[in-house]
Amino acid sequence: MIRNIAILIANDLAIAFKNKTLYLVLFIPLFVFVVLQLVDGNRLDAQKIKIGLIEHAQYTPALLQSLRSADRVFTISWFTDQADAQRWLKEKNGDGVLIPSAGQADSFTLIVLAKASFQTLAIVEGVSELQRMLEGKSKSWISEIRSLQEDGIQQQMLPTWILMLVLLVGFIVLPAQVAEEKEKKLLLGLLQTPISEVEWLLAKVALGMILIAVAAALLQLMAGVDFDLVSGWSYFAFLMIGGFCFSAFGILVGFLCQTQASARTLGVLFYLPHLLPSALSDFSQELTKVAPLIPSYPFYEPVKSILLEGAGLFEFPVQWLALFGIGVFTLFVSHRLMKKRWLM
Amino acid sequence: MQLEVDRLCKIYKGTRGLRATDFTVEKGELIAVVGHNGAGKSTLLKMIAGWLVPDNGRVRVDGIDLGDRRALVRKIGFVPETPNLFDFFSVEYNLVLFGRLFQVASSRIEETLQEFNLLPFRHSKVQTLSKGLKQRVSIARSLLADAPLLLLDEPTSGLDFEMTREIYLSLGKIHASGKTILFTSHRPEEIKSLATRIMVLHQGSLVFDGQPSEYFTSNIHQTLYS
Repeated sequence: MIRNIAILIANDLAIAFKNKTLYLVLFIPLFVFVVLQLVDGNRLDAQKIKIGLIEHAQYTPALLQSLRSADRVFTISWFTDQADAQRWLKEKNGDGVLIPSAGQADSFTLIVLAKASFQTLAIVEGVSELQRMLEGKSKSWISEIRSLQEDGIQQQMLPTWILMLVLLVGFIVLPAQVAEEKEKKLLLGLLQTPISEVEWLLAKVALGMILIAVAAALLQLMAGVDFDLVSGWSYFAFLMIGGFCFSAFGILVGFLCQTQASARTLGVLFYLPHLLPSALSDFSQELTKVAPLIPSYPFYEPVKSILLEGAGLFEFPVQWLALFGIGVFTLFVSHRLMKKRWLM
Repeated sequence: MQLEVDRLCKIYKGTRGLRATDFTVEKGELIAVVGHNGAGKSTLLKMIAGWLVPDNGRVRVDGIDLGDRRALVRKIGFVPETPNLFDFFSVEYNLVLFGRLFQVASSRIEETLQEFNLLPFRHSKVQTLSKGLKQRVSIARSLLADAPLLLLDEPTSGLDFEMTREIYLSLGKIHASGKTILFTSHRPEEIKSLATRIMVLHQGSLVFDGQPSEYFTSNIHQTLYS
């Protein structure tokens, strides 16, 4: 009995190896380890906080002196007006902007991108510490925190859910479907009719885009998010170009596999590295540096800006082109593989 | 209809496959391609059907080259060894889907269902059918566009005696309607009375091409199947 069980286990392992499932077992811990290394952790303390001040605003000498003397903790940038400073913040060049609160002496408003972020926490902690050292316990200099992005955890999470959804269709649903059509020779059957390879590929991309649009619409309805006309169109346009890009990418992943099982495994291998660095980039400056190298970032960042900051489509021409380019390139490679009847 | 195969070749990993092969098929022939497993029979048919890309050589049907796949698919119907039907859908769905892609009239679907005795199964999911019935659906589908050349890869593989006989009767009827047929088999005795011509493949090479009467009295049959 034990011998039979051992034989069956060996057989299951061989199947797992063949289906690339073993790669998954090795890949996930490795990937999590790399991400954890990139999440700032202790290095946060060593990083300087970049704070913006307005040139003609009334700051108390005590605050200015404290910030200047703590040059190991704070880097100060000066701006001619608040709009300039907010642009600097939106471009992620700084962590926060301090402006005097209206009608209150010795009281300041901190403007940040998002309230729930490590940058906000670091600024509040740093400024409070300086104040404690200078004045002991007194009323806090920072009386208000204002966010450039809309508040509410649901709203803040929406871009991440949208990214998850797009990648789920792209890297999990479509590769399995393409591989199934290859495995059961259904694709070869369809190619026995007068359809062209390009038509088949475009139909699959359209399917991915429709699935993404329907799922995003449902998510939108359930989350109860309202758009103005410009943001709505910009969001839809980015959703569609992202849908095109990742559907085309997913089809290529499907073409790289012979069976559904290996397509599912390879799909996960693509899914996690596309999801986590982009989604976690808000919580780590190290990941913010790495994430732009990943194709999901040109989708995630604009969608986040559109959803949370009311940005428009035309502010992201490079990202739009990058997504379109990746989509066209992966479709081209899939077309070549299809013509060669590769792994079919 | 004329099929021309010229220096067609496909080699897998150095040994198996099909070495450069030439032959011509004329309208109305019913050709059995026989040989042991791995002789290159399926490789030959799959290349003609466009399922495999040849290493070398060319195939033309009525002057249309293999490269012009979209024109060629109207000339060739291919039935693979394992039916590649959308088995989670009904028989009718499978026929309608391919009928639409070939842009045939909907009346053609009804005719085909009737012709292949599939009317009682039209709403049955393919996955619930026996292998013989699936094979029948597969043949029906391949003839939807009225292709003059029908290729069948081991059409009776895995079928019992009764089903095998039924498939061969179908092939006889299709042949009588004026179609040209090329099918593979590794059991030559079965096709003795059916084929008008026999081609024998052995280790990737065409070693015999002639009349059944010549083949069954030749040394090749004795050598390969005794």
